[in-house]
Amino acid sequence: MRVILANIVAIYRRELQSYFQSPLAYVVAGVFWLLSGIFFVFILNLTIQRIAFADQAGFQGAIDAPYQFLQSFLGILNSIALFILPILSMSLYAEERKRGTLELLATSPITNWAVAIGKLLAVVTFFLTLLLPMLVYQAIVLSATNPPMSIPLVLLGQLGLVVLAASVLSLGMFISSLTDSTILAAIFTFALMLILWIIDAIGQQVGGPIGAMFAHLSLLKHYNNLAQGILDTSSLVLFASYIFLGIFLTAQSVNVFRYQRG
Amino acid sequence: MIEVEHLSKTYGTTAAIQDVTFVVEPGEILGFLGPNGAGKTTTMRILSGYLPATAGTARVAGYEVHEQSMAVRQRIGYLPETPPLYTEMTVEGFLHFVARIKGVNAGDRRRNVDLALEKTSLSDRRTTLIRKLSKGYRQRVGIAQAIVHDPPVIILDEPTVGLDPRQIIEVRHLIKNLAGDHTVILSTHILPEVSMTCNRVAIINNGRIVATNTPASLMTQLNSGTGYELEVEGETSQIQAQLQAVNGVKAVEVLLTDLPDDRCKVKVSAQPDTELSGRELAAAIVGAGFGLFEMRRIQASLEDVFLQLTTEEIPISDDTVVTEVDPATDDDGNDPGANGGKGADDDSTGEVA
Repeated sequence: MRVILANIVAIYRRELQSYFQSPLAYVVAGVFWLLSGIFFVFILNLTIQRIAFADQAGFQGAIDAPYQFLQSFLGILNSIALFILPILSMSLYAEERKRGTLELLATSPITNWAVAIGKLLAVVTFFLTLLLPMLVYQAIVLSATNPPMSIPLVLLGQLGLVVLAASVLSLGMFISSLTDSTILAAIFTFALMLILWIIDAIGQQVGGPIGAMFAHLSLLKHYNNLAQGILDTSSLVLFASYIFLGIFLTAQSVNVFRYQRG
Repeated sequence: MIEVEHLSKTYGTTAAIQDVTFVVEPGEILGFLGPNGAGKTTTMRILSGYLPATAGTARVAGYEVHEQSMAVRQRIGYLPETPPLYTEMTVEGFLHFVARIKGVNAGDRRRNVDLALEKTSLSDRRTTLIRKLSKGYRQRVGIAQAIVHDPPVIILDEPTVGLDPRQIIEVRHLIKNLAGDHTVILSTHILPEVSMTCNRVAIINNGRIVATNTPASLMTQLNSGTGYELEVEGETSQIQAQLQAVNGVKAVEVLLTDLPDDRCKVKVSAQPDTELSGRELAAAIVGAGFGLFEMRRIQASLEDVFLQLTTEEIPISDDTVVTEVDPATDDDGNDPGANGGKGADDDSTGEVA
């Protein structure tokens, strides 16, 4: 057990190190921070304007402005993530296959599981790093609210974003392990994500028990649950299942695919 | 140390290797020789646990390579055809990583890495990014990667590919020094490499082991090939006639050269099972009044052995393991010249290091 843990850490550290050397990581981080920063200001202004407008119109009811702001911002973040995540996961295995380093890993006393888990942890860590400035932004704005915003509610939304990302990255890692082309891996991951995003709508079209099943698989629906501050165990279980499925399939595919000529 | 029995591997319907059997004793260096596509890489991949065999068993240090894969993986160092390198890491960082995943204790890692760097003469490049290294250096990092955890068995797939002649010599030295403490299997399609570094040779062709023996006995068992090469001044046809008359001469072949018209270079080959006398040849030339400019003895090179074994069926004496050879052998793979074949030729005719 200690050996497996040490191996996971070894893979994890190597992956993280490689992000510091990779221009792609810097570009992704830069673009993500730029876009999310722009949208942050944008949404903040929009929320303020909306309240001002409601005031002018003489609206008497209560508006939970911080909550609305948080909802919109988390919604935007997950849309940006939709484009960022396939780029993060595309090279996890495809690059190793291309460079032949998978042969090194496969002939070292280290299990496929340890490699997959280490890689996933590293890429999720990178995503967390991307989110850190966003947390600071939100902390600054939401600390000004009166009455104060419930901290668990805010954190639950962020947790939702992280588990959503982990699920997508896990499945993306599996897709990456199927090919030695990073571009193909990114495209297929993007397609799969889109399907899982809108499978809720597909389920409604299909209807019946199959439709209900589809609706349950929807990433967006379960993400929205968490983002709204609803801690639903079934949502967490679903995300955990996606993460596990991705790791499991990756470990299997690495085994199977090296048996092919290549 | 390594026992391979009736190993076969088929991809779909094509057989990559068939019924391969050989044994490598502890401390020995076995050279795996064969044209491209003969099954060298497949065999090595099976031994390293990367590929499962279709049939047969392979044991490394007493462990079955597929069933006890983890135990085997701890005990081998493997350099694949293309060195597996994380190009964005430094040489040192990469070796530390490999040592870690190979299960070297934290306390020993520093020493192991230093030793591997030293053995592969990489100490002055330890902080260089692998991306910035030349091909020869990368190959050395590949070898360092295979020895960093001090494994009892080392498998090297074409370790000298892409190196310049000086580096090739260094790597051969390195490999020779590994023997004794380590058991080494290396594959190559460069013939002199085998005669210089290996204790034993296994020649593989079309997925079958054609012969295994020591390089020296493989060469001596092939009785053709010994002869002399002479550079003589005089009329070519007269020289030929004169030499043909010498005892034991089988053929006199005029070699194409850019020498002046009054000189020529001839190759004299001996009849089977006879030793040509250099003295008689020289006497024949000088006695007839021709000028003798150069006289050189040529021995059968491993190249001759190899070509014979991989192109036709020939009987060799009993102590060499010979399995039937497919007569429809492809010639296109026999390309010993790809990497220093010419210079290498001279090596093999000179003293065997």
